[in-house]
Amino acid sequence: MSWELAGWPLESAGALLAVVGACVTLLYFLALRRRPIEVPFVHLWREALADERSSRLFSRLKRVFSWLLALLLVALIVGALADPRVSGHGGSERVVVIAIDVSASMGATDGRMERAREEARSIVRGLGASDRAILIAMGAEARPRSAATTDHAALLSAIDDLVALGVGADVEAAAHLAADVTADAAQRELVVISDGAVAHEAEARALLEAAHLPARLVHVGAAAPNVALTALSVRRYPLDPSRNEVLLEVTSASDQAESIEVELLGDGETVDVIPLAVPARGRVRRFFQDLTGVDRALEARLRRRDGSHDALAADDHAFARVPPRHRVRVAVVSEDDIYLSAALLLDEYLDVREVAPADFPPSEPFDVAILDHFVPSAPLETDAIWIDPVPTEGVTGPLEITGSLDRPFFDRLRREDPLLRHAALSDVNVARALLVRAAPGDTVVAADARGPLLLSGERGGHRFVALTFDIRESDLPLRPAFPLLLLDAIESFAPTDAAYRGSVATGTPASVALPVTATHATLRVPGHAGIELPIENGNATVRFERAGFHTIETDAGDVLVAANLPAASELDLTPRDADLGTESTTPTSISEDVSRLPWQWLTLLALALLLIEWTTFHRRWTV
Amino acid sequence: MWPFARRAPAADRAAADLFDEAFLRRLESLAVVARRTVDGKTRAERRSKKTGAGIELADTREYSPGDDFRAIDWNLFARSERLHTRLFEEEEDLSVYVALDVSASMTLGTPPKLDHGKRLAAALAYVSLAALDRVSITTFADRVIGRLPAMRGKGRIFRVLDFLRNAETGSATDLGTAMRTFVAQNKRRGVVLVVSDLYDPKSFETGIDALRHARFEPRILHLVDRRDAEPELFGDVLLVDRETGERREVTVTDAVLRRYREAHARHGKRIATFAGETRVPLVSIDVQHHWDDVVLGLLRRGGIVG
Repeated sequence: MSWELAGWPLESAGALLAVVGACVTLLYFLALRRRPIEVPFVHLWREALADERSSRLFSRLKRVFSWLLALLLVALIVGALADPRVSGHGGSERVVVIAIDVSASMGATDGRMERAREEARSIVRGLGASDRAILIAMGAEARPRSAATTDHAALLSAIDDLVALGVGADVEAAAHLAADVTADAAQRELVVISDGAVAHEAEARALLEAAHLPARLVHVGAAAPNVALTALSVRRYPLDPSRNEVLLEVTSASDQAESIEVELLGDGETVDVIPLAVPARGRVRRFFQDLTGVDRALEARLRRRDGSHDALAADDHAFARVPPRHRVRVAVVSEDDIYLSAALLLDEYLDVREVAPADFPPSEPFDVAILDHFVPSAPLETDAIWIDPVPTEGVTGPLEITGSLDRPFFDRLRREDPLLRHAALSDVNVARALLVRAAPGDTVVAADARGPLLLSGERGGHRFVALTFDIRESDLPLRPAFPLLLLDAIESFAPTDAAYRGSVATGTPASVALPVTATHATLRVPGHAGIELPIENGNATVRFERAGFHTIETDAGDVLVAANLPAASELDLTPRDADLGTESTTPTSISEDVSRLPWQWLTLLALALLLIEWTTFHRRWTV
Repeated sequence: MWPFARRAPAADRAAADLFDEAFLRRLESLAVVARRTVDGKTRAERRSKKTGAGIELADTREYSPGDDFRAIDWNLFARSERLHTRLFEEEEDLSVYVALDVSASMTLGTPPKLDHGKRLAAALAYVSLAALDRVSITTFADRVIGRLPAMRGKGRIFRVLDFLRNAETGSATDLGTAMRTFVAQNKRRGVVLVVSDLYDPKSFETGIDALRHARFEPRILHLVDRRDAEPELFGDVLLVDRETGERREVTVTDAVLRRYREAHARHGKRIATFAGETRVPLVSIDVQHHWDDVVLGLLRRGGIVG
């Protein structure tokens, strides 16, 4: 066992000792100067001090002893500044990577995060003088929280700052980072402090073995019952967007049945509370139908019915963003058709504007055009619903008309097409229809045996839906299918986003759609400055580290995003084993007591000397 | 203040403060008290040791030629058939000397013992002057420094005050030398009020004995400052004697302080023992007490003078 100075180098410590020692000596002799006091009759003092003469030599010796005590104290303090430490690893430099799991499961109430911090502190305190350590926060990605340093204070401070996040733990990322930062070290080791709920364990093991990086896992935590909200999604009813349908899933990692209740909050207000019985290690799904009062944000809160809390609070909340409702601007170009206008009144979110054919195109912008027996001369720049699209002379229509059909029937229906959702067309009577030829890529949704009656497709980059007959020459406007068909067609142009995701998972990069005109986006994080997000193709890519609602501010308006914990990885709090490959043959740290020995004893000795000096000075023993 | 007005020296101003208007008023009231207390006993009617022209019969002796035949005791002649002359005690006014110690040790402290001593001396002088005694003031340290000749009548009190106000201070105390000089300077015997702290390295007893042996009647007014007996000292100090300048390094501890208090007590006991053995009246006066209370106490006890 050899010694090294981890603090001040020997030369600096020696110079400091010389300077401070000289100052102490000077001050000491200055302190010995006595203050003159006038007395009326020194003869009486002479009598009082008759016995003192005999002890003058001893008194001088005591003064010298007191001075030596002061010098010794200075020497001890300088020694402490030099920080002598035991070099436990043969003096060769070693790098220890301490990866602490900061996944959501580490936030369990059994104190495993604090236990992990304590394990890390113990490792740091036990490092040799020349050992360097680097701290990694192991979440969905591995983030270094300190430089590779011998500065224990910096490491301990970084350890103190670690908190559990709302993400999973990717041990492969930690292993990758550890291998990179220790690539040049002669001796190195990765210490993963975790409850074992980590992802990509096999990949990490392979990576570590390939990099010849010894690693070991320090387990923290204990098994604890936990019930989690593992799914929450919401969608609007297409025909009544003010109402919503909610899917909720609760999963239990408890070994016994749990009696819970789930509270749903819409825009911050409670809209429903339901009791649920979740079997041991089981899963329960519930649908909430016709849910009203939720227009923007939906939150679910889970709690035990007996008022107690489970071991992990982070997964007792789930969040979902209700799909936004867009007001579609519809331009109805028709000479006179009250059926059209009446049908469009069914959807309050349509902004319908009637335009005479002569006034087309209107000056105001629109999203969808419904062209009744009218084909404009210029190609359309929007999506369109064509009804009986017969072009005038010299004008090209969307469909190639080859003739006409008498009394066609809807005898061929493409029932899986969204246009026919809820719409029954099979018995619609039509007096006459255009005989058209579908272009390649067009979808014939409904047809007579002789030709298409209802088509969809794209022209000039814009979608269209076309009815090949004049609705006035049919009983379609009198049927419920007519408004349904119109609204489904409009929705097919401006969908309520069937692929809409009510929430994103924390820890994984998510692409968030921003307003079309947004040029910059900033993620607001409570307590921090905003994080600028890159925008690509109208989307911002962001990785959330905490579950909850997050606001992305853009110059075109704010976007609310809900983030939830990754479904199952953090649910089970039972510590698991993880095989990270070969462990180091040398201990990570020296015995903490041995490592701290000089400091500890030097400090104690200095304190003891201070006490002795103080006592003897005030008792007049050393002066 | 006008530019041509005379500024009193600092010492004068201090002395003026010493004998201010209040002091004088207090003196007058003390004189009244003194008259009431000692009326008919001490007012210049004290019997002297001399025989002479008084009216109180002191003794008889055989007639010698030349004696006043009016003094022949004829009754005694009738019984003894021998001529005897009656001797009468001569009545004379009493001489009161106030010997004030002005050594450097008296100037130590706040306020200094000397201030108290001066007030005390002035008060005693006033009381004596009011009693028609002959009063003389002498200041001394290691020698006689100042002397105010004997005077009578309380109208002379202002001379006394002026003398005390302007009294010079000395250095070391040598009561023996000073009192021997005093005895040589004053032939008329009388009461000597020695006002001193008695911090005399050469033995204060010599001085008192010099007075006694010269048939003066010494009275010791021992000025005691409790701060001298209980110094608030601790730690490493360099003690400097106010009178001699002698320096001594001392580490004041509880034990040292205890021994000093014991030494100081022995000093006081030595004074008391000496006074008891020589029957010299001794009054220890705490300078922390007000001077007029002290004088009043003295008068109520029968007077230090009478």
